[in-house]
Amino acid sequence: MDNLITLWEGSGLYNLELGQAVMILVGLGLLYLAIYKKFEPLLLVPIGFGGILANIPEAGLAISALDQAMEVAQPAVLHQIASALGATLDPLAGVEAWRETLKAIAEDAAAPDQLRAARDVAMNVGYGDGMLYTFYNIAIASGIAPLIIFMGVGAMTDFGPLLANPRTLFLGAAAQFGIFATVFGAVGMSAMGWMDFSIEQAAAIGIIGGADGPTSIYVSSVLAPELLGAIAVAAYAYMALVPMIQPPIMRLLTTKKEREIAMTQLRPVSKLEKIIFPLALLMLVALFLPDAAPLLGMFCFGNLMRECGVVERLTDTAQNALINIVTIVLGLAVGSRLMADSFLAVETLGIMALGMVAFAIGTAAGVLMAKVMNVMSKMPINPLIGAAGVSAVPMAARVANKVGLESNPHNFLLMHAMGPNVAGVIGSAVAAGVMIKYLS
Amino acid sequence: MQDTELLHEGLALMGLGMGFVFVFLTVLVISVTLMSKLIGRFQPTPAAVPSSGNGKKATAAKSQNDEVLAVISAAVHRYRSSRRQ
Repeated sequence: MDNLITLWEGSGLYNLELGQAVMILVGLGLLYLAIYKKFEPLLLVPIGFGGILANIPEAGLAISALDQAMEVAQPAVLHQIASALGATLDPLAGVEAWRETLKAIAEDAAAPDQLRAARDVAMNVGYGDGMLYTFYNIAIASGIAPLIIFMGVGAMTDFGPLLANPRTLFLGAAAQFGIFATVFGAVGMSAMGWMDFSIEQAAAIGIIGGADGPTSIYVSSVLAPELLGAIAVAAYAYMALVPMIQPPIMRLLTTKKEREIAMTQLRPVSKLEKIIFPLALLMLVALFLPDAAPLLGMFCFGNLMRECGVVERLTDTAQNALINIVTIVLGLAVGSRLMADSFLAVETLGIMALGMVAFAIGTAAGVLMAKVMNVMSKMPINPLIGAAGVSAVPMAARVANKVGLESNPHNFLLMHAMGPNVAGVIGSAVAAGVMIKYLS
Repeated sequence: MQDTELLHEGLALMGLGMGFVFVFLTVLVISVTLMSKLIGRFQPTPAAVPSSGNGKKATAAKSQNDEVLAVISAAVHRYRSSRRQ
């Protein structure tokens, strides 16, 4: 009979907490969005599944060895951990109370060397870091996974349209206004007392407006790791929603006549220019903003491999096999941050709302900038391509093309929109560098 | 009090960040334009020029060949007709 009780007490059903159940439902919801609604399935399938794995009770896939030990270990082990942490356990209180005290001490009061000693105790007794916890440390806490993905994106990007018309870089810059306006919005929400965001958290939320998954994950892993799950989910969900969010704003801000503007054919760009561009960009980053060097450095490296034409095997790996492997690990690691205590908070709703605002403002700023440039320059510029300044390559460029075709069925804007589109990637990486520089 | 401080910090970040992004991308625009001009000067449209040059040469050679061919065939024709007589 005792064995039966032990088995029951070790079951998931017995240990399931309400938060975990809700988070498993959230994970299933993400899988639904990815599989049936085709929302960025490459990312949301691993993220959703990782979220489910992380919330399986007692399995401890997403927590460290010490947390795991404090959660499920025998009382004797708890005493060892307590002595390692320099605390004593009240013999009158029950085992559950001991666990709570230990967790509180480990979170706030303990010194780093005490934590390390407690961790050693847990490892010696046979507890190990959860698989997803290890993925998170290797892939995201170190910053490596977003950077490798950025390298792959660089290997996939053709800077030809941008080099043919360098002024489209301004559109990529203007669209970054969405990022900074959202930072201000998040700070404003905390000042009004609706939410409680620090300036670092506000910056990490704002970068959702950069519409660039790896950049968002990189920035929030540096500035606000506690919000990473919600920020990554918001970033990828809204990137999938670009075809729905952008067109109304684009139509609202432009007249039919402006949407019909045809742009002049782009000049051909020589191979030498394409080879020199990533190197020139790298030099500028080195000179002006070393904090953007991890992101833009890897981006330029990937692009140089693509354009130099002598390392086709490496380019092929960077844009196919490697980026796929890293996407799996990155997705599961992001999923491991979908824990009830950090995700089921009013702040998550705020992040979702602010992310949407960031996209809208970025789109509007890009379109308005393009209108200004159209008035000032001799060469006609269709304001619709300004909306592509919010990276989200190549979705935003396709949206600009589609809205342009609605007004004039012979006006193909796709190649013209690719210029601001890749400029947006550079712009959001620069914005990320500025925020990291300013805040850390 | 702390709230206004946070707001000020947000504003500062917004101004500084947006300003820097614009300055950086302006410098990038200038350097890219310069680079394209330099390359255009020292290596005038490398994709277009050699191919069109080759084309000219090819057509020139071809027209020369045609001339030679015409002369030879005329000579052969005259030779043959002279021998028949």
